[in-house]
Amino acid sequence: MLGFSSKQLIGVGVFLFVIFIGVPLVIGATGRWDFFFTLTSVALLAIASAGVWLTFYIGRINIGQGAFALIGAYVSAILVVKAGWSFWISLPAAGLFAAVVAVLIGLPILRLRGVYFAMITLVLTQVVTLTALALPITNGAKGISNIPLPSGLSIFGIPLIPDFGSMENTKLAFYLTACVLMVVTYAALYRLVNSRLGHLCRSMQQNEELASSIGVNIAYIRIVIFAISSFFGGIGGAMFGSIAQSVYPSTFVVADSVNFMLNCFLGGLGYVFGPMLGTLVLYFGWDLLFEIGKYQMLVYSMILIAVIRFLPNGLLSVRFGKGDKK
Amino acid sequence: MEQILANGVYLGSQYAMIALGLTLIFALMNVLNFAHGQMYVIGGFVTYTIYGQWGVPFVLALVMSCVTLAILGALIEKFLFAPVIKGSAREESTMLLAAGIAFFLDAVILLVFGEKQRGVPKIVDGVFNWDFRIIMPYDRILICMLAILSIVAFIGLMQYTKTGRALRALAQDRTAAQLMGVNVDRYSMIGFALGAMLAGLVGGLLVTITGVNLGMGGPTSIKAFMMVMIGGAGVISGAIWGGIILGFMEAIGLALLYQYGDITYLLIFVSLMIFLAIRPQGLMGKPWG
Amino acid sequence: MQRRSLMKAALTAATLTAFGATAAFAENPVLKIGFVGVTSGPAAAWGISNQRSMEARAAWINETGGYTIGDTTYDIEIVSFDDQKDPKRAIAGMEKMAQEGIHYVVGPNVDDGAAAVRPVAESNGIMYFPYAFPKELYQAPASNAVLGMVANYQSGPAIYKYLMENEGVKTVAFIAANESDPLSQRDGGVEAAEALGLEVVSASVTYQVDTTDFTPVLTPVMRAQPDLLVLSGVSPANAPQLIRSARELGFQGLISTETAQDAGVLAEGAGDLANGFISVGGASTPELASPMMNEFVQRYTDMFGEYNDESNTKVYALEYILETLKADPSAITDVDAFQATMDTFEAPNPYMNGDAKLRYVGMSSFGQRRQVAVPLVVNVYQDGAFETLFVAEVD
Repeated sequence: MLGFSSKQLIGVGVFLFVIFIGVPLVIGATGRWDFFFTLTSVALLAIASAGVWLTFYIGRINIGQGAFALIGAYVSAILVVKAGWSFWISLPAAGLFAAVVAVLIGLPILRLRGVYFAMITLVLTQVVTLTALALPITNGAKGISNIPLPSGLSIFGIPLIPDFGSMENTKLAFYLTACVLMVVTYAALYRLVNSRLGHLCRSMQQNEELASSIGVNIAYIRIVIFAISSFFGGIGGAMFGSIAQSVYPSTFVVADSVNFMLNCFLGGLGYVFGPMLGTLVLYFGWDLLFEIGKYQMLVYSMILIAVIRFLPNGLLSVRFGKGDKK
Repeated sequence: MEQILANGVYLGSQYAMIALGLTLIFALMNVLNFAHGQMYVIGGFVTYTIYGQWGVPFVLALVMSCVTLAILGALIEKFLFAPVIKGSAREESTMLLAAGIAFFLDAVILLVFGEKQRGVPKIVDGVFNWDFRIIMPYDRILICMLAILSIVAFIGLMQYTKTGRALRALAQDRTAAQLMGVNVDRYSMIGFALGAMLAGLVGGLLVTITGVNLGMGGPTSIKAFMMVMIGGAGVISGAIWGGIILGFMEAIGLALLYQYGDITYLLIFVSLMIFLAIRPQGLMGKPWG
Repeated sequence: MQRRSLMKAALTAATLTAFGATAAFAENPVLKIGFVGVTSGPAAAWGISNQRSMEARAAWINETGGYTIGDTTYDIEIVSFDDQKDPKRAIAGMEKMAQEGIHYVVGPNVDDGAAAVRPVAESNGIMYFPYAFPKELYQAPASNAVLGMVANYQSGPAIYKYLMENEGVKTVAFIAANESDPLSQRDGGVEAAEALGLEVVSASVTYQVDTTDFTPVLTPVMRAQPDLLVLSGVSPANAPQLIRSARELGFQGLISTETAQDAGVLAEGAGDLANGFISVGGASTPELASPMMNEFVQRYTDMFGEYNDESNTKVYALEYILETLKADPSAITDVDAFQATMDTFEAPNPYMNGDAKLRYVGMSSFGQRRQVAVPLVVNVYQDGAFETLFVAEVD
């Protein structure tokens, strides 16, 4: 079926079972309700990290995903609060807006490579934060708070998504929503990487001049990839705004941009599912270390250093050796 | 106007020194050292402890800052960066390592030196006031001159000593340098130690003016990145120019745009982005990126 | 991918045991009070002084036999979560508090975190005491946040009015860091100053929090020659540098802020140049501090090596929580009871000499009692220590 081996299909099946049924059951049984939010965060941050991973795939170090996540969060919040849109329509709109911004900014800056691209995207994160502080529509320093919960969505009278506002407990609902988004994102990412576009991206990652000389329209591909990447960022950010029911200029900052990039490194740049694992370990790891109090940061960073020292190609390199898995 | 110039020179000289160490490390090993700002902070705290707390003469404290950071840098290079660079498929992976080290140093600083803002007694009292056209406290003038002196000394070291020549060869072409008989491993370590030492030196110098707190690390790194980008990554003279340009941009921007307060930095950042989009390799960088 | 689920299971197991291990150490039943705030990174000073004052007080209570609420004597345990000043983490922290069965939490320290945790706190029945000033947090329909200190829009007018009457201040300039909290505080300050009839000569100058040289930032402000320079929402790290730069530029007027500062930091960072600097503090100046306050400072110093004057304003939230629970023991698990008690609660203020009372206020600012009544103590820095300038009340 579509060239998947049965082993892969089983893997996907198990994964879906675990996140949609296993995790809620385990949480229900152990009573660790707080893990819902942690895992929801992991899923959403993994979506944004997937975008960063994609820009790595064309050989660009992207430290600007926080900017697009912030843009997405603001677009969704403004559409919901000021224009009265349904959250579910504002969500793709947020992603699209982020993608459009990415195209406009990407045109000039995607010519840059290496550390230069990394730095310019880092600066971009600060630019977006400062812009959010200065603009009237974003409410400046005061941020946008009291954003209503996502309303229900129905097509032709058939309810597709229930009203979050009337729910007793929104944790599970947000968790499932985030997981669906994450699964869709990674399915799309996997499809993309294994498409013709994916092959072209790999050729660009190796050598742009060479790719260009054999007729690959590298400028076009760069823009498309950057736009898709930022779309993911926008979606992740918008969803977060809706959970926190507030957006501030500091909701996504440089530290977030850096973390998105670290997620990819930690999981492994050679693996589609690397960013997902990286996000899980980095974000969840911090939460688990909460027990040790003031040594939390110390232990966390020592583990991080140890991992990269002994697994410089990312966590997934343990299992698959070197080289591309897919 | 004179005041703006004076501010620009002062800011520029301190920025240039911060950028120098970062660009040196980048030139030698292609490592973007996220922990540079933390090294600067440690340098500040060492001087604070030795000069501010124990009352040892300032110059000695400054030397201790340099020594501490040089040792720290050498250890980090030898036991962390060198093996990771050898083992990783893509050299960008060192960014994760650098970030991890930055987190680690932040944690250590918090545990050892505490969370408070720290400052030391002024090294020179008094304010130079030229008819209210230039107002500059004497300690700033002194620090500014020391910074310029250090930069000159550093350039001298790079130009006229055997170590400097080896480091430059290494920065230009690693393989060629190795073929010419340069001990690459040894000089990588020396270079890293030198870069870290510069961070410690400027930290020790500036603690007398701005004080030090554990939060300064991250933002300092980012500022240093920007200066390095302006001048061109991995080019010594570029870092100096980058520092001076950013210093003057801040001094002039803050003087002219103050009534729009919130957007001064926005404009600086945006113009930096435009500049880099037009000239991707910075002022004098090599266009390999 | 099986690997992932396996790992998840392993991690879950590991945490569960970790949680199990912390449970049993005291003879008294344990009452857990939460703290969610920033204790690492650039703003660590805010959260750490907060966390430490809670821990110092809890240790003190436990050492002297516990805290009696109703018929039960509890040991107090402070559960702290470092949110790294990230609103996303703050939500996770609040979830963690809910998980621990905690209903009373101090923090977060900043506006965005306080706004972000609201949904979690309200759906889990948690009362939280943020150190953030936006009025939406405390006005209906918001119900679970209690402002843990005096807001700048309350202390600002009191300070300006005092200075107008006693120092003849006519013009004022504001300067703020380019961040949410300070900018909001600046806007509030400008509004208050204008309402009092002060002339605001400069309010647009901002600086980045990572500024290392404030001379270029302050130069344009100095040109406006205000009688009073207000450092809106200034962090303890920036305050001494701003003061030093302003004085070195020849500024002769008054300098004030509405946030709490630490005398030691001012002494190190600005020395004598900080003399006359006006800030808001708690009740630790010698005239006001009760023996209990002095003992608290002593115990804090013994425990952590060094006192932080910012803790003067942060000692109250825990005391309020415990005193209110004592007034209505059923509130230990029922925040509705707590909220009902808030309207009538009154107890003597143990940290201050005189007959000051602990009670909940905020009717005029928020329309409901969602603020702790702490004395508005305005301090002036003089030669390494704070002196009381005046004391006022917030209603």
